Amino acid sequence: MEEATQAFVFFWLAGLFLLFGFMLSFFSKVHWQRRAGLFLFGTGLLSLMATPWTLPFSPSSAFGHLLGSLIGPSVLLGVGFYQITFSGNVPVGKLGPGERKIGFVMVVGGVLWLQGMHWWHLTPTYPDEVNRYWFIFWPTMLLGVLAISSGAYGVLAMVGAQRQKEQRLMGGVAFFALYSILVGAFFDGPNVHSERFVSQVFLAAADVFGALVGALFAVLVFALVLVVYERQQPDPDRLEPPNAEQLTQASRMIAQQMEGGDEDE
Amino acid sequence: MNKSHPLMVLARLGTFVLFPLLVVLSAVWWFKGASGEGMLVRFVNALLTSFTLTSFVLLFTLFVYGDARKRPTAPLFGMCLSGFIGAGLTVYFLSQGELLMEDNGSVRAQALSNIIRFGTTMIGLGLAGMVVAGALFSSVMSGPRNTILFEEE
Repeated sequence: MEEATQAFVFFWLAGLFLLFGFMLSFFSKVHWQRRAGLFLFGTGLLSLMATPWTLPFSPSSAFGHLLGSLIGPSVLLGVGFYQITFSGNVPVGKLGPGERKIGFVMVVGGVLWLQGMHWWHLTPTYPDEVNRYWFIFWPTMLLGVLAISSGAYGVLAMVGAQRQKEQRLMGGVAFFALYSILVGAFFDGPNVHSERFVSQVFLAAADVFGALVGALFAVLVFALVLVVYERQQPDPDRLEPPNAEQLTQASRMIAQQMEGGDEDE
Repeated sequence: MNKSHPLMVLARLGTFVLFPLLVVLSAVWWFKGASGEGMLVRFVNALLTSFTLTSFVLLFTLFVYGDARKRPTAPLFGMCLSGFIGAGLTVYFLSQGELLMEDNGSVRAQALSNIIRFGTTMIGLGLAGMVVAGALFSSVMSGPRNTILFEEE
């Protein structure tokens, strides 16, 4: 197979499968469509992660390598938070206290794993240098944690009642992200030089702001398209006001209900 | 209870989100003296890519909207147009010499590189959201249930 065709099939088509499958499983109300969506999502993800083997000649395979490198810490964090949350004060499906401890260990393990990718020898390396997409991912994630946890702190301060503990936690998470950025900017890791990290933090900030502004414009266009369409629709048929007989019947039923009438009605 | 104007609430929330980012970027810039070279190009590339891809994703959500609206074609056409305008603008600006080109040799390579970088940014933000939401819900669920007392009842 030609290289361009291989890249299309194993990377771009797989990416389309991933996106289409995710949206289908998320939005569809039909059971078989949701299952098909999950299947497409899984197939796409596996194909993307296999690109270091299926497309070793393509620079895009570094993205697949990054995905594979992030699966471990993502699963630890996701399952860990799930265990902690559902061993708490939930009305149904409560997990045991043992699972809470396991969840806590998994979350700490996930965080240490991610930090170890910057500060230890776990940095994703592909093919023989640090994966270039790691330089985009790590500063983006740290900036994202900082912004989202600060936003959550603000939301809790504005609308949360008796949520001081959660506010302190969000403040702590934001501080941890801020501290990670500052330490990375001043000290070299074994594979990532601080100067490189600093330049990547600024480029990641440009990426994040650009992506947010672009998405905002798209949502505004989307809203505009729907408003224009809805305004062009004819008004729905208006019902005639109730006549005297209907009003009498309604008042009789209301009176029955107020007096504890038949439940059949 | 004081009712704030929705725009005021949005402005306050925006401040909470943006202020720490600006503080950390200013601190790093101040102490490390980063040049910020290539930021504008990255910003514009990310903006165009995000606009185009989000338009196509929103186009897909219109199929769900169509379930409740006898499958109208006008909004589909509108969002298709929006997506193609985004793609057209991206190709146009990338074709203007070195304006938006980075380390790629052709317009196609730069456009594909933008898409992969956008995917990486989304993964970073998605994982960040998962960490914050996970921490928040873990804390909310681990505390005692909040009881709301109604004076009238």
